[in-house]
Amino acid sequence: MNSPSDAEVIGRSLDEPEAFGLIYDRHAATLLRFLGRRTGAEVAEGLLGELFRIAFERRKIFDTSRESALPWLYGIGSNLLLKHRRGEARRLRASARMAADDETPNRRTPALDARLLFLRVAAAIEALPAGEREALLLFAWEDLSYQSVAEALELPIGTVRSRLNRARAQLRELLEPGGKKG
Amino acid sequence: MKPVDLVRKLRRDAAFESAVLDRGKERLMAAIRQEVGPQRRPSIVPQLPYQDIAAAIAFLERAFGFREIPTARRVSPAGVVGHSMVEFGDSVIGIGTQGAHGAFSPKTAGTASHYISVYIDDIDAHYQRALAAGAQIASAPHAHRTDYRAYEALDLEGHRWRFVQWLREVPIH
Repeated sequence: MNSPSDAEVIGRSLDEPEAFGLIYDRHAATLLRFLGRRTGAEVAEGLLGELFRIAFERRKIFDTSRESALPWLYGIGSNLLLKHRRGEARRLRASARMAADDETPNRRTPALDARLLFLRVAAAIEALPAGEREALLLFAWEDLSYQSVAEALELPIGTVRSRLNRARAQLRELLEPGGKKG
Repeated sequence: MKPVDLVRKLRRDAAFESAVLDRGKERLMAAIRQEVGPQRRPSIVPQLPYQDIAAAIAFLERAFGFREIPTARRVSPAGVVGHSMVEFGDSVIGIGTQGAHGAFSPKTAGTASHYISVYIDDIDAHYQRALAAGAQIASAPHAHRTDYRAYEALDLEGHRWRFVQWLREVPIH
């Protein structure tokens, strides 16, 4: 038997609120990983709870022409993350150090170069305007399609495309040794 | 290296345990019930006596998918759970200390004078869950005419639970 789409489940949850639990069963693990990547495990648990409370309260306005609720849930999570930018920045810098340590043994890149490179990547991500950063991280870390990023951030797909292009260009500029700011 | 690939190198997963997801589910469902449900006041609440209430509830949750009502738990100053309630679907059952009210756990009494029927949506999934949790199966799933299928399992202290799925009812998922 086919399982009902998220849209059908959310529709049903208007009359039977507990049906919303199925949305949690389907997507909570994905979203916990998403929030954990951005803020670490402890903060992520609290945010996951908040995310689903908000989603439940707003289930009436979910656009039921969409099959999957996941992009919508990502969008709620993205908004919650705005309050945790400082924690995110810390985590990014820690990630940069770890990425550098991962890189140096297999390559001939001197450790210092790798460390500097990744710290610059982290700083460049941080320096992006919030909207571009969010689009970039949903695309690069969560592997969302352009369409899903558009649904998450409630933007036309063309806007997502241009945000990602701008983000790429800015990163390139900040990273290339011969670049303006290099 | 392309900028996006460099960004990908900074992706770092945070480790978590599945218990985090279970806790989150429990909180969400409690919040949903609180927000939308009228306070449930069933007219009849069966009370089951146990030797070890905390262990009994943990097992009922794990094996049968019951949920303890978080606000119902009564704990003595010594830290012993004296009474609590579990819920399933639209029903609740009290989980109490044996000896109080003259009722005893089958584990103490060596016999049980009752069994409880529970109506479920997916008997095969439920049976597998109970098996995996180590429930003692008293009778495996079998059909009764064309009306329903049922199986029976004993919990940690020998209370007998009969799980029934109506065959004409369409499973939710």
